[in-house]
Amino acid sequence: MSEKPAEKTTSTKATETVKKVRAIVRGLYQNAREAKEKGQFTAYTMTACQYEEILNAMDIVPVWTENYAGLTAAKRDAERFVLKAEAEGYSNVICGYVRVGLGFDALRKEMGKTPENAPDGGMVMPDLLLGCGSACDPRFKWYQALGRYMNVPTYSFDVIWPPVDADLDEVRNYYIRYQREQFQGLVDFLERQTKKKLSHDRLWEAISRSNATWRKWWEVDQLRKAIPSPMPTEDHYNAMVPGFYCCGTQLAVDFYEELYNEVKQRVDNKIGVVPEEKYRLLFGGGLPPWHTMWIFNYFETLGAVFVMENAYRIYDPVEVPSHVKDPLDYLAWRTFLRWTQRYDMAKKRSGIATVERLLEYIEDYRIDGVVTHATKSCRATTVGQIDWLHRLNEYTNIPSMQLISDIIDVRDYSEAQWKAQIDAFVEAVEAHKRRTAR
Amino acid sequence: MMTTELKRTGLAGVEELYQRRGQRARELSEQGAKVIGYFCCYVPVEFFTALEMLPYRIQGGVNEPITEADAYLETIMCPFIRSAFDLALKNRYDFLDGLVVPHTCDTVQRIYDIWKYYRKPAYSHFINVPHMLQPSSYEFFKQELLTFRKSLEEFAGRKMTDEALTEAVRLHNENRALVRQLYDLRKPDPPLTSGVEILKTMVTGMGLPVLEYNELLRSVIREIRERGGGPGKKPARILIYGSVIDDISFIQLIEDSGANVVMDDLSTGLRGFWHDVEPTPDPLDGIVNRYLDKIYCPRTYRPQAETQEKDLDNRFGYVYKSAADFQVNGVILYVIRFCDTYELDAPDFKSYFQKKGFPVLYLEDDYSAGTLGQLKTRVQAFIEMIA
Repeated sequence: MSEKPAEKTTSTKATETVKKVRAIVRGLYQNAREAKEKGQFTAYTMTACQYEEILNAMDIVPVWTENYAGLTAAKRDAERFVLKAEAEGYSNVICGYVRVGLGFDALRKEMGKTPENAPDGGMVMPDLLLGCGSACDPRFKWYQALGRYMNVPTYSFDVIWPPVDADLDEVRNYYIRYQREQFQGLVDFLERQTKKKLSHDRLWEAISRSNATWRKWWEVDQLRKAIPSPMPTEDHYNAMVPGFYCCGTQLAVDFYEELYNEVKQRVDNKIGVVPEEKYRLLFGGGLPPWHTMWIFNYFETLGAVFVMENAYRIYDPVEVPSHVKDPLDYLAWRTFLRWTQRYDMAKKRSGIATVERLLEYIEDYRIDGVVTHATKSCRATTVGQIDWLHRLNEYTNIPSMQLISDIIDVRDYSEAQWKAQIDAFVEAVEAHKRRTAR
Repeated sequence: MMTTELKRTGLAGVEELYQRRGQRARELSEQGAKVIGYFCCYVPVEFFTALEMLPYRIQGGVNEPITEADAYLETIMCPFIRSAFDLALKNRYDFLDGLVVPHTCDTVQRIYDIWKYYRKPAYSHFINVPHMLQPSSYEFFKQELLTFRKSLEEFAGRKMTDEALTEAVRLHNENRALVRQLYDLRKPDPPLTSGVEILKTMVTGMGLPVLEYNELLRSVIREIRERGGGPGKKPARILIYGSVIDDISFIQLIEDSGANVVMDDLSTGLRGFWHDVEPTPDPLDGIVNRYLDKIYCPRTYRPQAETQEKDLDNRFGYVYKSAADFQVNGVILYVIRFCDTYELDAPDFKSYFQKKGFPVLYLEDDYSAGTLGQLKTRVQAFIEMIA
């Protein structure tokens, strides 16, 4: 196998800053290998676990296993890992990320070394596996299953939030208390493993850097309301890397500062993604098709630009009360506030916070159409999409469409079918625009 | 406590209630009882009993094609949940006054909002069940159950006293003990009762007030003991492990293929009956411990043990013990497709039992009677191999 992809899967980007991300990704895996050689602790990690700053403050080098799976898909080199996992008895409908990860580690165990020509040199053998109960079940089941292939200390903890119909005043305290205790349990585990104490000062510093990162990233997205769109969704799916996978580092802070400056300059000079932006689309949910990211460019050939997205979203800034002085309390508060954003609106209107966010984007970003991606192996981001679109239809009449494939598994993707569906959808968007312009 | 005339007894009563699912709940609803639908084994049914409401475990229908739910639910999700919601859309659950959904897995979590929005039950509540078992998880779960208790009291229009809750715990513990007695009737070889009879009884119990269910169980156990005989000796004794089986067709298929199904650990089977609620001064403490820690569904993360072998013992050892106790000679791992937690456990489960000397048949199914033909071939081959 060669590291060079057999065919182009990635998208063409509009901004220069995001072109630096590929090197950052390469650096993630290289850094982890170097850290391991120097005796630093490395850990398999997942997004949305809210522990980035804790790891940063304790000098634990994360290896983001979902990112690695996405990377193999973008390289069209996921198949050997997926097939290996399936040969080991894992169902072909299990999360594509998980199948890549299990297949990778099964192969590593079998061969006694990193699978040959693994993209970006492969994932380092971790010292720790750190799962959580946030967002989806595979977030803790994946690392539990890895016990077949490695004998590595494993810890999982809950990241939990109330349902929309909860009385937040009634449940807030005990949800935050539990979240705080869950973070404390993680810290206790890490301190036992590394034999190092967590420095609260260092944790505050990491929190400060990550808040600055997310704030600047959020400001970038505010700029993206401009017409024409200065930065499309395909750029977001590169731009997300420092925010998710380098969170708490100065590199991430600097990256978004630079991205902000570039996007601002594009807005000021009305530089768009395509020469003539006819339709503004929202990528409404489901994870992106990492195996075929150029599909966003295909929309652009029809004059349709994805100006905003609702997957791997940044968290909007939240205001943790000033009386919170302990960093773990802060993280628990921040987690609660992040996950309960838009609950008030949801209670009054659609009943779903995600639908409220989509409605907000539709208005703020002047959206003409919504596209979701049903990913066959991801329950967490797919189940509910049809429902969201129904509810959206109660408050807006813009066209919507659901594309179906997978995050990883190219066997679930049909280029011809997608193109036909996209062509028809863009025609529907055009017809809708014409009708509403009358 | 809800006390009503028990109209059906023994296996004939089970048969009638099994064939007319929901009938008893419907009757009680017409008499003014509040009937609350719920999913999975993580909802403390004692709460409903203490408030004289009827808990109704929501089922799907393997024989009913999904025709309505496609407009609302993706096809890549648990077909059992899709089926149950399909039945709701067809008004088969119009006798339910409310819906309680525990956060057991991603799909069950999602169905709460969707069911609530499109079916608009008079009462609805979502219980967050921690995935973890750290000390703080118990305290959190207790708080969640207190919130649930308060919400249910408001709907009932009255307080749930500790005395009523303690009595409900006693009745449901009695129920669990009776179910275990029923299961024990399959320990001998040949077993005194079949897997089909057991499953019919269990499904029937999902829609009965606990007093009626206990009475029914006593009558069934008595009848089985007195009648003697049973399904007769067969070459294979099978244990089934998995999530939801709420229709006899698959069990029937196994038992028609030369095996007796003598034990299960199914979400709709013994899973919710292994352990009693320990009586505690605050009855809620016993309920918290039992519902959080004593239900062994793969959705709960059991902290890692020192070795992989011990880890697997922690997760599956209780199933192994019952397989040995019931002298099983084959295990069927029955997983409903798109169930991530079971699917991620499946290779571990399979190799664990194989190392213990048990042949394992792993079936991934679509929760539809339409797949029985395919299953039959594999089941027959498996039974021939182990017999």
